[in-house]
Amino acid sequence: MPASESTRDAVAQAIADTARFLPTQGPIDVFVAQNILQGFEDRPYEAAVVEAAGLFGTEPFMPESVYREELARGRIRAADIEAAVDAELGDTGGTRLAAGRVTLHALRLALLKHPVHQEDDDAVRWTLTEREPFATADAQDLWHACMEAVSLFRPAVLDGRPPARPRDLIVAVAPALDTDALVHPRLIRLCAAFLDQGVAARQMPGRDLGLLQASARLLAWPFGPVEPWATRLSGAMKAVRGRDSLDVIVDEIHAIGVPPSHRDEVVGRTLLALRGWAGMIHQLEQRPDRTPVRRVPARLADFLALRLVLDRLAAEWAAAAFGRAGDMAGLWTDLRDRHPPQRGPGSVARAFLLCQVAQLVGLTAADIRGLDAPDLAELERAVQQFDAVARRRLFHLAYERRHRIVTLDALAAHEAAPPPADRPAAQAVFCMDDRCESFRRHLEERGPEWETFGAAGFFFVPMYYRGIDDWHATPLCPIVMRPQHTVFEVPVEEAAGRHRLRQAVRRTLGRLQGGVSSAHRTLLGGSLLAAVGGAIAAVPLVARVVFPRSTDRMARTTTELGRGRVATRLLVDRQEDRPLADGTFAGFTVGEQAAIVRRLLEDIGLTRRFAPLVAVLGHGSTSLNNPHESAYDCGACGGGRGGANARAFALMANDPRVRRRLAAAGLAIPADTVFIGGMLDTCSNALVFYDRDHVPPTHRDELAAFTVACDIARAADAQERCRRFASVPLNVSTDEALRCVEARAADLAQVRPELGHATNAVCLIGRRQRSRGLFLDRRAFLVSYDPEADADGAILARTLAAVGPVAAGINLAYTLSRIDPIGYGCGTKLPHNITGLIGVMDGHASDLRTGLPWQTVEIHEPVRLLVVIDAPPDRITTAIARVPAVERLVANRWVHLAAWHGSRGGLASFAGGQFVAYVPESDRLPTVPRSVDWFAGHRGHLPPVRTAAALGGGLR
Amino acid sequence: MSLLAAVLEPERTHDLVAALVVAQLAAPALALLGIGIPPLLGRPLSERTTSRLVGTGFATAFLAALVMFGVLAGRGFAPETVHLGTWFSFDRHAATIDLVADGLSVPYVCFSTGLCLLVNAFAGRYLHREPGFTRFFVLLAVFGTGMNLMVLAGSFDVLFAGWELIGISSTLLIGFFHERPNAVRAAIRAFVTYRICDVGLLAASVVAHTAVGSGDFDRLFHGGWPDATCLVPAAPATLLALLLIFATLGKTAQVPFTGWLPLAMEGPTPSSAIFYGALSIHAGAYVLLRCEPLLQAAPLAGWLLVTIGSVTAAHANAVGRVQTDLKSMLAYGSMAQAGLIFVEIGLGWRVVPLVHVVSHAILRSLQILRSPSALHDRHTLVAALGGQPGAGRSWTDRLPQAWRLAIYRLALDRGYEEMAVARLVVEPFRRLVDRLDAWERAGADWLGDLRLRGPRDREPLP
Repeated sequence: MPASESTRDAVAQAIADTARFLPTQGPIDVFVAQNILQGFEDRPYEAAVVEAAGLFGTEPFMPESVYREELARGRIRAADIEAAVDAELGDTGGTRLAAGRVTLHALRLALLKHPVHQEDDDAVRWTLTEREPFATADAQDLWHACMEAVSLFRPAVLDGRPPARPRDLIVAVAPALDTDALVHPRLIRLCAAFLDQGVAARQMPGRDLGLLQASARLLAWPFGPVEPWATRLSGAMKAVRGRDSLDVIVDEIHAIGVPPSHRDEVVGRTLLALRGWAGMIHQLEQRPDRTPVRRVPARLADFLALRLVLDRLAAEWAAAAFGRAGDMAGLWTDLRDRHPPQRGPGSVARAFLLCQVAQLVGLTAADIRGLDAPDLAELERAVQQFDAVARRRLFHLAYERRHRIVTLDALAAHEAAPPPADRPAAQAVFCMDDRCESFRRHLEERGPEWETFGAAGFFFVPMYYRGIDDWHATPLCPIVMRPQHTVFEVPVEEAAGRHRLRQAVRRTLGRLQGGVSSAHRTLLGGSLLAAVGGAIAAVPLVARVVFPRSTDRMARTTTELGRGRVATRLLVDRQEDRPLADGTFAGFTVGEQAAIVRRLLEDIGLTRRFAPLVAVLGHGSTSLNNPHESAYDCGACGGGRGGANARAFALMANDPRVRRRLAAAGLAIPADTVFIGGMLDTCSNALVFYDRDHVPPTHRDELAAFTVACDIARAADAQERCRRFASVPLNVSTDEALRCVEARAADLAQVRPELGHATNAVCLIGRRQRSRGLFLDRRAFLVSYDPEADADGAILARTLAAVGPVAAGINLAYTLSRIDPIGYGCGTKLPHNITGLIGVMDGHASDLRTGLPWQTVEIHEPVRLLVVIDAPPDRITTAIARVPAVERLVANRWVHLAAWHGSRGGLASFAGGQFVAYVPESDRLPTVPRSVDWFAGHRGHLPPVRTAAALGGGLR
Repeated sequence: MSLLAAVLEPERTHDLVAALVVAQLAAPALALLGIGIPPLLGRPLSERTTSRLVGTGFATAFLAALVMFGVLAGRGFAPETVHLGTWFSFDRHAATIDLVADGLSVPYVCFSTGLCLLVNAFAGRYLHREPGFTRFFVLLAVFGTGMNLMVLAGSFDVLFAGWELIGISSTLLIGFFHERPNAVRAAIRAFVTYRICDVGLLAASVVAHTAVGSGDFDRLFHGGWPDATCLVPAAPATLLALLLIFATLGKTAQVPFTGWLPLAMEGPTPSSAIFYGALSIHAGAYVLLRCEPLLQAAPLAGWLLVTIGSVTAAHANAVGRVQTDLKSMLAYGSMAQAGLIFVEIGLGWRVVPLVHVVSHAILRSLQILRSPSALHDRHTLVAALGGQPGAGRSWTDRLPQAWRLAIYRLALDRGYEEMAVARLVVEPFRRLVDRLDAWERAGADWLGDLRLRGPRDREPLP
């Protein structure tokens, strides 16, 4: 029976309400680090993580024991805890408890500094009888006083609302009867078959009908035996055929015995029960253009309907165990009644807690006996309110506060580099990426003649890009943008013939390889291959495992010998006035190019004092055996590699027509300034420059000198990276370090080819001159911005719009994955199993695992991003108000914000809706000659320091 | 020179082979003790020391195997039996600890220890900083010791010991991530399958002792591999062969014991590679090759092997084609090839299945170790082809739609094996246990006149 229109709307709305909490991760080949709790951004961070924890069964903060360890080793200080308690309690901190003997503030502080053990009655009794806990007669007396005290008043009753989803009710009453454990293997198999992008040789028949109808067609036929719980599967599926999903949902919720009043809750909880798969279906429904190979008609409503049919069958089977076969509504009501209410702790446990608290705040047995029932109840309530989650929240705030203070103190104490007198030898524009921070620093430490800038790594060239080896164009720009242009890489004319030959060779090899891999799937082919190929496979097996780096080099060399290297160029200029088949234009017009060049140069404040050589360096990452490889690529390129963007930008900026237009608009680039594009591999530390042959002979020397400086910098950078790898000795030299990172990129067995954005914590938006010479430990996104050329804050607003959500997204992906590596992250990589080319599962059948793997976040410090902007506070406020996405993040404290303006120091931190002048705790900032003098011999996080070499003098 | 002299003198050759055989068992076993004991004393070794110790153990065993290969090759692989002692004996029965170096065991042990050495090198990096690092290497060393024991076994008794070590290390590695219920479930599933089939091997050992008074292979067979002849009379030989086939069905994942293999991919990738791509999956084939004279003496067993092998291969191939995750696909690939190897053995071939085992093992372990690269490899392939590889055609495409649906459903449900086990084994067993539980409660109530109402409703203690 079709449901009424209003019911259908209500169900659709309930689905949409929950859908925004589903993981937003798309197919894994374009992994973009985003805020895992995007759906909660409209509420304050501290409340949101607790709410999300309730919804997903995740952890809102790290375990209390971790914070206590950090307190013990000085990472959190007593002052931080006090400040956190002060900020939380405000005026209510003075509230007196226990007849005025203790303040609320003192109570909370005591509970934070000393652990109390909340245990149940049996555990306490065991402790009392087995462990002789009372050292003194006083303690014994106190215990008796507490036992007497708790008998005087009744504990506050905790209200436990019974769940609405039948499976949750069943498990709560009979823990061994988990119907999800029955349903999931079948459901996962169906979802995986439906979404598969090319692992299986045989595709699911009828995929075009959608998940529900394809599954119904498959399961409706009584082909064979089914699991005991699913004996009526084929009948149920026959009934579903040809019906609308929303109608099925309404009927199934009715059939499972849930009254309409609880329908929305059941819809929500059911969708979240396998949220990885549900999220992927939702993503492919929302962004079908992100489907890697073959679009499928993914619909969340189909998934829910299918799941509810299976859930209902399993619940009906379980109903028999409760003696209520066939009476689902009765079962539901019955289970709701039987649902064990959350009982508070028993009297012994309460006394034990009270006793510990009394000892902490210095109440004696006499004091306790002197309290009346309301006082005691109030004291107990105050203790209970400050439960584990509340304590962990305060610890976390204290933990973040210390990081903030260390960073802001360093910024306040750091002196800006003196304005350089000479024209710089070269300027290099990098991605804002935190991993580029160290590379830039090492380059700057080579001397004041090298200057660096940071910008979003697509360099404002949003494009679909198709390289000569690509079979289709991929978008290279932030995930929120859809490019309007396509840029092709083509062989230069002289090499066209060679390129055709090369392609033919490649295709033949590919066919052979494709033939081999499909032959594996046939019996005879497989055995023939196994028999013949086994001996051949032994060579790569041994070589790859034992000598990863040499094997990789050899493989590369032979491939290049076989196919030949082909010189190429990019078609950045508009090719035709008509758009391509996909609606984009091939190449950019001169006007568009001028706008792009101007946008970048203005944003980073590079509008005068041009060096003879300006390098624009994108980045990407290459590693083997790594399903999450794309997570290491450039976030600003939507999980792609930014080399092509840098190359395109350099071509545009060198174009005389573009320069004439820019000059007319008041941005004069000297004729002797040459741009060059390049790409840095953040895994192997390899650096390539594009179109070197375009560099005029006059600039060859500059380029050579710059290349030498970069080579020294990337070896030094490799050394700094290696200090974080526990498997690399701390005394590794720069050359060894470079070989080491190259080997990691080529090693099949390496689960940490690089550490990605781990440890990121700061985003600095401002003049590099102010932060140059400050060691930031690869923990800071560095965005160049010149406040002096931006009186009205327009540039700041568009910079924030471009970098704010990207940096915050990366930070929150790492932070949340670190806080709960299983719940928000995807756990350890070791058992990961690629499924359907869209994601990974743990082992053979699990929920699709989203978030970042443990190996990537292991050394991350989960702190919210501290955004420091080199601009006057009022301009920051105005600029943020213009960008709603950033305003929401700032207002709800998903990032911390500070202004850095004025002369020396001049910091103001944003709290409670306004900027407050920041008073540094200390103005000490040590100076070392070079970064290596600071990081050598250390594995852990290091505080900022001043490096003299980058400031062009002193200790060099 | 002394080596050469030793080769020339039969007396000393025997001593040399004995020393080498013992080294192959002792090296991984000593490594196992070396890394296993310190953590028990509360002083765990560093990762580097752990993996190096096990690596040294395997390297020593590998070198010993290579030397032995050289020595035996010089003598045309004439079998050499090493008698290490007698466990117990009474009447004319004796359980001896015998090892044998011959044309089957020596090449095989070179290959298996070599592979262990390689996986050891891989895992040292792959498991870096994993909480179960030491546990993994302990289990790898247990496996290596068991594997060598099984391969070099000269009697059913020694073979059984090695077989069991392989089984237990496999189970524990499937359940390596024991905090995940799925991993533990899969481990138990594998363990139960192994135990059921182990009955076959144990019974075979008893039958052998009854038939010829010994479990020694040189009392059961005469001559060197692969030309040995059977000394057991036809009737017990058939029984022995059937029992052995039953014993090998579990570890080799043949019909009807196929279901555990895809689930076994819960452990870390290197253990999946060496167990279910390379060595453990072929242990059954090795045992059958070892006892091939029995199969010659029992044509019935040969035909049974051909049947089981071909049914498994067809099943695994059909199911493997619809698998959507890499590891399940590879698991069914392994299973299909293991089925074909069974067919080859059943047909009475000797060298072909041996070559098939070795090369399939190398290829499959490389594939499993590389499986996380699937996306990378796919992109390379797609770029080279200039488009997506077309779906392969199959004879099933010509069938009517209903048939195709039926075949797909059959494959997606993995031949209904899961459901059959649930309905025919698990469910009756559960009911039996429930009934026993009810009887026990009733009995206890009657005895103690207690009105036990189940733990949930018990009154809280005063």
